[in-house]
Amino acid sequence: MLRKSTMVALAGLLWTVGAAWAGTFGQVVSIGGAAADVALDEARGRLYVANFTANRIEVMSLASKTIQTSINVASQPSSISMSPDGRWLIAAHYGNKTAPASPTNGVTVIDLRNNNAKQTFALTNPPLGLAFGSYNKALIVTTKEFILFDPAVGTTQLIRTIQEQATKSIPVPQQTFPPQITQASVGASPDGRYIWGFGDSLLFQYDATAHVLISSLYSASPTLGPRAVSVAADGLHAAMGWWLMDIDRGVPRIYSNFGEPLGDLARGGHAFDGIHNLVYSEVPFTTSDAPVLTVRDSDNLTIRERLALPEHLAGRAVLTADGNTMYAVSDSGVTVLPVGNRNAVPRLQTSVENLVFRGNFCDRDMASQTFTISDPGGARVPFSISSSNPGVRLTPSSGVTPAVVKVTVDPNVFATQKGTVNVDLTITSSTGVNILDPVRVSVNSREPDQRGTFVTNPGKLTDLVADPQRDQYYVLREDKNQVLVYDGGNNTVKSILRTCNLPKGMTITFDRQSLLVACENAQIISVFDLDTLQPSAPINAQNTRMGSIAASARGILGVGFDTSSGDYGIYRINMATRLATRLPLVGVWENTVPQYTVATPAPNGSSILFVSPDGSVLLYDANVDTFTVSRKDFPSLSGAYAASSFGDFVIGSTIFNSSLVPVRSIQAASGASSGFAFVDAGGFFVSAPDQTSAGIISRVDVSTGFGARATRTAEAPLLSTLTNPFTRTVALLNSRGNIILLTASGVTILPPGYDTAVVSPNISRVVSAADGVSSVAPGGLFTIYGTNLSPTNVATKEMSLPTALGDSCLTVNGQPVPILFVSPTQVNGQMPFQAIGNVTMIVHTPGGVSDNFNLTVQSAAPSVFRAAVAPGEVFPTIVRAANNLMVTDTNPVHRNDVLVIYLTGMGRVSPSVEDGQPAPSYPLANTLQQPDVAIGGVGAPVLFSGLTPDLVGLYQINVSIPGNAPKGLGIPLTITQGAFTHTVNVRVVE
Amino acid sequence: MKLAHMLVVCLAVSAPAFAQKWEIGGSGGGGFHTSKDLTLSSETAKAKIAPGMAASAWLTNNTNARWGGEIRYTYQNGDLQLKQGSTSANFSGESHSMNYDFQWHATDVDSASRPYIAFGGGVKVYRGTGAETISQPLSRFALLTQTQQVQGMISVGAGIKTKIGKNWQMRLDVHDYITRFPSDVIQPNFGVSAGGFIHNIVPTVGFSWTR
Repeated sequence: MLRKSTMVALAGLLWTVGAAWAGTFGQVVSIGGAAADVALDEARGRLYVANFTANRIEVMSLASKTIQTSINVASQPSSISMSPDGRWLIAAHYGNKTAPASPTNGVTVIDLRNNNAKQTFALTNPPLGLAFGSYNKALIVTTKEFILFDPAVGTTQLIRTIQEQATKSIPVPQQTFPPQITQASVGASPDGRYIWGFGDSLLFQYDATAHVLISSLYSASPTLGPRAVSVAADGLHAAMGWWLMDIDRGVPRIYSNFGEPLGDLARGGHAFDGIHNLVYSEVPFTTSDAPVLTVRDSDNLTIRERLALPEHLAGRAVLTADGNTMYAVSDSGVTVLPVGNRNAVPRLQTSVENLVFRGNFCDRDMASQTFTISDPGGARVPFSISSSNPGVRLTPSSGVTPAVVKVTVDPNVFATQKGTVNVDLTITSSTGVNILDPVRVSVNSREPDQRGTFVTNPGKLTDLVADPQRDQYYVLREDKNQVLVYDGGNNTVKSILRTCNLPKGMTITFDRQSLLVACENAQIISVFDLDTLQPSAPINAQNTRMGSIAASARGILGVGFDTSSGDYGIYRINMATRLATRLPLVGVWENTVPQYTVATPAPNGSSILFVSPDGSVLLYDANVDTFTVSRKDFPSLSGAYAASSFGDFVIGSTIFNSSLVPVRSIQAASGASSGFAFVDAGGFFVSAPDQTSAGIISRVDVSTGFGARATRTAEAPLLSTLTNPFTRTVALLNSRGNIILLTASGVTILPPGYDTAVVSPNISRVVSAADGVSSVAPGGLFTIYGTNLSPTNVATKEMSLPTALGDSCLTVNGQPVPILFVSPTQVNGQMPFQAIGNVTMIVHTPGGVSDNFNLTVQSAAPSVFRAAVAPGEVFPTIVRAANNLMVTDTNPVHRNDVLVIYLTGMGRVSPSVEDGQPAPSYPLANTLQQPDVAIGGVGAPVLFSGLTPDLVGLYQINVSIPGNAPKGLGIPLTITQGAFTHTVNVRVVE
Repeated sequence: MKLAHMLVVCLAVSAPAFAQKWEIGGSGGGGFHTSKDLTLSSETAKAKIAPGMAASAWLTNNTNARWGGEIRYTYQNGDLQLKQGSTSANFSGESHSMNYDFQWHATDVDSASRPYIAFGGGVKVYRGTGAETISQPLSRFALLTQTQQVQGMISVGAGIKTKIGKNWQMRLDVHDYITRFPSDVIQPNFGVSAGGFIHNIVPTVGFSWTR
């Protein structure tokens, strides 16, 4: 949960960023009063606005966005709704007046088909809100009852009485706005079937077709503002204040919420777009927040976009049927927001979230990369960009979209920081209406003794768990509500799981089948099947926001914040019923724990360790299914926390015994504790002096606390903060193939023998990466075969290829070479465009430097890639344009086909492309030497020959197959470029 | 002299045609093909065209009381198939055949029921019409291909024509269309051969209008 200090900082950031953006999104229509509600009449092209203080209903033209007429009604129209058949407009009047004035509670019925004829009916109790359901009857909620109102005959029918809701009496203090007076809101789904609403302590859903009313009392801290309801198209989900709700087993459930909001009833608003599964919302965190509309996913409120508003929203909002336009009550009256047509307004977007500069011992020169700033709608939008660090320079620093920005890093500026420094690039615009997240530039300045390969991932990564059964591991990305599933074989993200809102902790069930993710801004726990990596039904946490979770062999326990009682406790999660229930006691002790308490299980499922930042610890023993230890031997605790299968525990830099008595310190500990992973009777301990330094990993003998072979890592592990005092940042894969660290810019991979003596690399041959046989050419992809080329297997997905990967880097004639993949016996890279003729290649690893390997780089040496389409069936990578499938024996070349041949080794191009950079799509990079292509000896016209756009080192030749090409199996397709000829065989049919 | 003799014979046969009946008709039925064994090392798979629907149209000229000539078009659909044990590969296909048959009838032209035999020849077009994919089961034996292939065809058949009205006949017949194995649409892979002929048996029932 966000703390006040964080909120203030965030508010300051938003204010600062917001102030830099002059453009705003939406058009304000002032009504000369205080709007309380809106109703949309698309058939007539009107929006009705309840002007609470001017006692009228304003009629706004949707076309001109102006108030065309006003309908005078009784005093204080607080809620309005139009019947589904378009005939009736009704308005509730909140007339809870104190003596000497008399109450004026009532309902006005306006016949829209009869010259706006009006009739007013008195109500006994103040109306909180109303909405039409299907069958053209309106549900009216008063402070004491639910009433069904038929406007055709003016009759009412009592549905149910309720606990009296708190009300405000008129007069109210000045600067009090309608949502703060009525303290309620009611809204209906577009088809009128479902009506949702809430008051001061009551919330409900009414099924107008089945006449089923579900209601419950609630409490919220802070108060549930903005006091506005927006209902999804399916009627089964609704945004109410800062909660998103659905119905689970007949009971309203909060499945997501907007974090730690301001709670002001009259500031903010939202619209639930069920067509696009989005929520458009302003839910401010502080009173000083600039008005900003966020576009969020409707399941977990992940922010997709932020748009500066001209003024604050102030209550209910409605969407047009196509979801394209939002009409929201705002400070001046109504703001019209073309939410479905955002491409029509000036905005900015960047082509990357982050850039990585990997300093390495092959390359200490200035390095540069580029990214693009553009407008999603293609417009020309001015922008400025600035760096938070003088070592990162930008060219240009301002311009107009679309623009390519060159980011240049001076490694000397970062030379003293041996880990990774994250630098923010802030982008602003004088006309753009969206607020961009900064582009993160990660600059690493490692030295040869620093081990490990880091795989960057933008965003806030907060937890790491290795799968005990599969060769994969899971990383929580908190800012995007995701679990990143990494393949343990190549350390790339193989799947992304969408979690509940603000994931804080995860655990794997003891049967190894499910991953559970607890979220701070949700009252559900996400569940994923680990075999299919698909979500399954979430666990209902029942008014509890879970923060940490752990599974033992007997029970799954979590730490959660009880929104009813306002304290933290320990909960049992039942996978069968999918419910979380607070334990009445924890052993013989009361069940309350401090905020930020975390839990972690022993690998053998025998126990769960609970650790709190105030120094208290708890132990759950699965054998007796109760808590057996509660102690407090330290004034505070932070950093690593881990439980072993042998009754040992580590918290911070201290080893605890099976009674959670501190028995010894980890002697090699230096810097701040970050993570500990028990392995057999020992473990790995990671720490760092600070977040920008190198990390330190040691092997720890748990029986002595002695840490051996402290080794520096490529970057620092994640360190604890005030809001994340405990960190889980090291894990050994189930295959024991790698050690994974959660580090400053992503994850760092270390081989288990990271600290063993290393042997110098050796190159045995260098060939084209396409076929493993052909010669190499400038700009082409090549493969080095040899030994000790890298301590680990790593592939990069960065599209500006790094010049160091997996502790390895290589040079050609002293020039750093872009690398795609490294392993102990193979390295794939791109030959620099300048390398030609006789060159010398050298590989650098932590084990040393290879002997010189001399090779001849041809000006062109075309070679077509091969791909296996089935076991034992390998074909050249040629694609038929007719069906966009690879040519095989069963998808043969037809006469008159157009083919795209993917290959490498075609040499230099025009315009030139920088080494390691993806090829441009405009203008296309053409080969300087044109190839000749023949099939079965018959010439095939070449339509294009050059680099494949957006990829590195990959060339393509587009050819047209002549109508007289010979038919048959194994017809030779020959590519000749200069003195080199390359042949593959294909099948040709009519 | 030889040419003159042939002309006399042809005129003798064709001259009475102007006085005989014509038939135009259509029929529907099914067709199935015999399979071919494809052998690769010690393995064998069967290649064939799966049974499918058949439809024919014809024009017949009864040149005299017992003899006639018929030009006939037949459409058939049927997947191209490879099968080995429980593994199989299928690919949509069809064929179009056009042939001329001589017909000899067992009864005169005015009889209510006329059994007959037919023989002749023509051409058959085999077409593979399926969507090509990058892999196919049993492709080591043969490749089912989206292409077409024209084959010479021998036609033999028999049937019976039955009067059902003044100008209407019902016809029940069966033909065997014999071609060489269509090795372009079912192309044997390297090391596999598939020569010889395949039979296509097509029983149909139909109606014709006569005058």
